[in-house]
Amino acid sequence: MSEAAALACPLLTDADTPLARVGGRPVSRAAWLADVRELAARLPEAPAAFNLCEDRYRFSVAFGAILLRGQMNLLPPARGRTVLGEIARGYPEAVALVDSCEEDFPLHTLAVSARGDAGGGNEDRPADIPMIPRDRTAILGFSSGSTGTPTAHPRRWGDLVAVTKQALQRLKLDRTPGHTLVATVPPQHMYGLESTVLPALLGPNTLLAERPFYPADVHAALERETRPVLISTPFHLGTCLRSGQSAPSAPRRILSATAPLEASTAKELEAHFGAPVNEIYGCTEAGAIASRRTVREHHWTPYPGVHVRADGDASGLALAHGPQHREPVPLPDCIEVAEDGRFRMTGRLADMLNIAGKRASLVELNRHLQTLPGVEDGVFIPPADSSDAAGIARLAALVVAPELSETDILEQLAERLDPAFLPRPLVRVDNLPRSTTGKLPRQALLELLASHGEPV
Amino acid sequence: MGAQTAFEQEVARLIVDSLNLEETAPEDIEPEAPLFREGLGLDSIDALELALAIGRAYGVQIRSDDEDNLRIFASLRALSEHIEANRTSS
Repeated sequence: MSEAAALACPLLTDADTPLARVGGRPVSRAAWLADVRELAARLPEAPAAFNLCEDRYRFSVAFGAILLRGQMNLLPPARGRTVLGEIARGYPEAVALVDSCEEDFPLHTLAVSARGDAGGGNEDRPADIPMIPRDRTAILGFSSGSTGTPTAHPRRWGDLVAVTKQALQRLKLDRTPGHTLVATVPPQHMYGLESTVLPALLGPNTLLAERPFYPADVHAALERETRPVLISTPFHLGTCLRSGQSAPSAPRRILSATAPLEASTAKELEAHFGAPVNEIYGCTEAGAIASRRTVREHHWTPYPGVHVRADGDASGLALAHGPQHREPVPLPDCIEVAEDGRFRMTGRLADMLNIAGKRASLVELNRHLQTLPGVEDGVFIPPADSSDAAGIARLAALVVAPELSETDILEQLAERLDPAFLPRPLVRVDNLPRSTTGKLPRQALLELLASHGEPV
Repeated sequence: MGAQTAFEQEVARLIVDSLNLEETAPEDIEPEAPLFREGLGLDSIDALELALAIGRAYGVQIRSDDEDNLRIFASLRALSEHIEANRTSS
């Protein structure tokens, strides 16, 4: 390998399969590259740009253009204006690449209109595939940090290439003629990026521009596409099962991530879809690091080259370390590692919540609530069982805010939190049942909720 | 405030039950008010749950590539009309 090749990796892998299907039409790798170059030329000079495109094809074009210009993709976890504003403070020159410009949007926007028909005919091979330096920061993923502002997690281009190669190999998505990636997860989410956009760019796979949402959409897409792989979440897969629709012609594989899938649900899914269900373990901090075939494995097998250690760091967290990590990365779960290196989750960290596959820290949610203007005190109350495939339990909240209405409080929270974490119910009270040490016993909170007529 | 028709009352009950909106009385849902963002403040998790409940109760499958999708979920009234026009079971 030449030195230059060791320091840089191609933005795109050449393959016969289309890179994408847009509105039912195949888009070749050459046509994609033409769209990327055209957009890259229009990007303003800046260290970074927000990639907020919801159309997965446009997201992939924006992703490539931002990389080609040596900039970072900013991938916020939610689109609340407070969250975007906080991230934008660190990148004042960053524009937001979007599907279409909205009025009253808090950032400067640039609409991505690419549909794969600009140039680079569908018969052409992509020419002069750009090389991207391995150590260039390709993305900044954000998680809600413990300090009140979103915490940035940089991933270098070489890191993304490494994890994608591991995943393609493990999930057998590296073989021609490739698969069509049908996904219910957004491309900004680390799992969505790693399981749809990157396997299409760096493997012989085709991403579907549209994001099927309702069970009827998912079934129709699986019926329509060639060799489809369904990439989804326990919540979404559960609704497909419960929708009672007849099974589509079998997808080749189903991938699930963001929350643990019950073995019984995995079994039902395999029976319903007639396809193996593989779960991927990952987090914003480390990206995907392991997988399991849920119907027959309780333990997760780390991706090739990745090691997990349970003895962990000073704070007792398990650590993951692979070629894609500059240093060992703490994992947000309680983990027990077997002798053969496989691991299992023994629980979530006490502070971590998972609602419909979205993770958040309870401490952090409470901090957001308590620092709202007009709120004197407040607390979120997690449901007893926060997530399973049979419907989603929501958070409740008790709030002391004499001057605000429930709607005022919800509106302010909606600018800061993902909708999944908005409390339901939100009950205003005169004060919280704090103990002499300031603690809030769960039982006292549940009793207070109940006294306001809310079932617990 | 417009009064709910008999069928709107039924759909309002379905919304409240399927989304566990214990704090909302079905009869308090304004027929013309938006169900999402404002009004009931529903989100995408609710949209999925609601689509599921509608499919079960009335055999109407909600699709996001339906051009009328935004209009269908615009209000209790629009949703009820869509269900009545497309229902296959009673």
